[in-house]
Amino acid sequence: MDQRHEIPIDDERYPQALRQIPDAPKVLYCLGDPAHLDPGLAVIGSRKATPYGLGATRLFAGWAASQRVTIISGAAIGCDQEAHRSALAVNGSTVAVMGCGADVDYPSGASDLLDRIRRVGAVVSEVPWGTRPQRWLFPRRNRLIAGLSSAVLVVEASLPSGTFNTADYALDYDRQVLAVPGSIFAPECRGSNRLLSQGATPISDVTELGLALGIGSIEQLVMTADPAAEDSEHPLLAALLSNPMRPDDAARELGLHIVEVSRLLGRYESAGVLGRYPDGRYGPCVTMRQAIQSLHDEQPTCESP
Amino acid sequence: MTDRGTARVHTATVVGTHAVPVAVEVDVGPGLPSFIVVGLGDTAVLESRDRVRAAVRASGFAFPSARVVVNLAPAPLRKHGTGFDLPIAAAILAATRQVPPAAVEGHLVGELSLDGRVRAIPGVLAHALAARDASHTLVLAQESVRNALVVAGLDVCGMHDLSQLRDGVDRSSTVSGGPHRTALPEPGLEPDLSDIAGHAIAKRALEIAAAGAHNILFVGPPGSGKTMLASRLGPLLPPLSDTERLEVAVVHDVAGLDPMPALEGRRPYRAPHHSCSLSGLVGGGTPLRPGEISLAHTGVLFLDELPEFGPAALQALRQPLEDGYISLVRAEGRTRFPARFSLVASANPCPCGFHGDPTRLCECAAAQIRRYRTRIGGPLMDRIDMRLRVDRVDPELLVRSSNAEDSHAVRQRVLEARERARLDGRGASSALRGTDLLDACRLEPDTRDRLAAQARALHLSGRSVTRLLRVARTIADLEGADAVSTEVLYEAIGYRGSET
Repeated sequence: MDQRHEIPIDDERYPQALRQIPDAPKVLYCLGDPAHLDPGLAVIGSRKATPYGLGATRLFAGWAASQRVTIISGAAIGCDQEAHRSALAVNGSTVAVMGCGADVDYPSGASDLLDRIRRVGAVVSEVPWGTRPQRWLFPRRNRLIAGLSSAVLVVEASLPSGTFNTADYALDYDRQVLAVPGSIFAPECRGSNRLLSQGATPISDVTELGLALGIGSIEQLVMTADPAAEDSEHPLLAALLSNPMRPDDAARELGLHIVEVSRLLGRYESAGVLGRYPDGRYGPCVTMRQAIQSLHDEQPTCESP
Repeated sequence: MTDRGTARVHTATVVGTHAVPVAVEVDVGPGLPSFIVVGLGDTAVLESRDRVRAAVRASGFAFPSARVVVNLAPAPLRKHGTGFDLPIAAAILAATRQVPPAAVEGHLVGELSLDGRVRAIPGVLAHALAARDASHTLVLAQESVRNALVVAGLDVCGMHDLSQLRDGVDRSSTVSGGPHRTALPEPGLEPDLSDIAGHAIAKRALEIAAAGAHNILFVGPPGSGKTMLASRLGPLLPPLSDTERLEVAVVHDVAGLDPMPALEGRRPYRAPHHSCSLSGLVGGGTPLRPGEISLAHTGVLFLDELPEFGPAALQALRQPLEDGYISLVRAEGRTRFPARFSLVASANPCPCGFHGDPTRLCECAAAQIRRYRTRIGGPLMDRIDMRLRVDRVDPELLVRSSNAEDSHAVRQRVLEARERARLDGRGASSALRGTDLLDACRLEPDTRDRLAAQARALHLSGRSVTRLLRVARTIADLEGADAVSTEVLYEAIGYRGSET
């Protein structure tokens, strides 16, 4: 079922948006249906994604895909793969742009995901079939991500970050650069926050994303945290939602006993309201309103970061 | 003096942590002058011939110019060390009637200087136990008498030099042994928890680990305080029983370390560097010597930078963590060393060490981080019930005065928790398994449902749930609760680490 397509630049299937960029690839190698290569939303972010970054990716990529926007990304671990998965989860369209041959599985853990994308979306590359991944091909591939899209959304990036490379290309090609704000105390959001101060459009809910992309029918299919619900919860929750902290620090800041904090954290983590980051901090993750709702019903969700 | 005769003197050789009885048999007879020692002695034993000859002469005795044959029986057992000098010399003197037979009665052990002085040897406690079991008086270097006296029911006689045998060693100088419990001070509780500022959750983890005998892994960047925390677990543990004190003292004594701290009831704290050899860690060599894990018996073994220890060492830890001893196999047989210790391990979160540190950026690729995390290996990680992140404390905090609890207060709670477990018919929670563990937790139906939901939500494997319940059972003991409640489960989840 190998739908291999070699698309030269003058072919009618060659994406229009890509043709316009300087130094456009002479040939595109595509595994899957080239029809998916219409201008889409590039969703990119850090490989070392936190539950916050993954949650935001899931929210925005999932919503955009449900609005029939093609999600473009690089299949890297972390935010990229989450973006592809979120699109597939709503039966949306997604394109993976590779820094190796389109038939090569890279990174190694992504084989299943890439196979799915090849079947229902498209995997493209400007280098021939079978080319192994090389370091220098990745910045080159980033220009394709920018070139194929009408807007680039950076979900979570630290400093330094490869996403800046893609964002630069986006500016060169006159594409919109969007970024999700993060906690000012969080090193993993420093890059995305820096993009905002350099002029990227802040995206903190789907309404704003819809406006930025010019998509009609703004329905809030996924909700953000309901302040009313939060107030009835322990101050610890509100504190951590705005500023992820480690248990020791949270206990000290709020003047609580460490055992009480531990138990609250366990409760919120089990309910999916808080996620535990790899560095030991607890902070927001996923669809919080849904989780807070179920916390009231005392029925933990099965959703988890 | 005659130049014909036989004699026999009792002594022992240390195998593992036991002194196996050895009989030194001497036959002085006709033939060209020679001095032979048979019975599989090692190099040190064979060298005794020169020491014995010189010491005998220096003490004013005559060394027989006849054929002297010494047999160390049982012959097929390998003999080690310099402790045979004294019994061999004594046997020769008795065989040649230079000293009365009564002078060489008992269990003799000691090295001889060329001038006839009797010197101390390691393994005194093992010899003391062997002498006690054979109802012999222990005769050894004067400086070792104090340590030997801790063994109850033993008579000890100290010697300065070989010439004392002439008058039959003044047996009135024999002292009776027994553990002078009241004379030995209770060990202090240093280093103390109150020395550490911040780290509230790590201190709570130490309290739980001490109460339930759980192993802990601290994950954090360099300089975050993991070593300081590890060294403070030992003082939180209950006092050693008399049997345990002796057990630990024997192991240390056999290894050539001072047994006094153990006799005083101080639990050992061993912190080998990761470049330690495998046999240095688990024991080995010829003669068999205890490794760090045995030197840490009843105490704390701190393995800093656990992933750096190498797969062979990590594998070798599994048996002792499971069984509380290690079996070392040699050609001559299998020897068991005790090795029941609390493991505290530390690891960096990634190869560069700074993943998650707020002040420095981690330079590792995500794939590198994942590989590094799997180095410790599933089976060993499975025996570590508690894992938590330890980060550097804000320097500002260090300056503020802390009203942190001291180890004495924490230890009180630990002792009470252990007592409750004991009254409930349980040992340490870390040893509970399967249905015993579930029964011990006494989960209410809705707590059980909550646990199942947690396991789904947080993707907990069966093993993770087992570890979770063990820790929860200990926390419940600390609270004085019969049953493990949902609140306790919530606290226990915090110690599960990342699922790898």
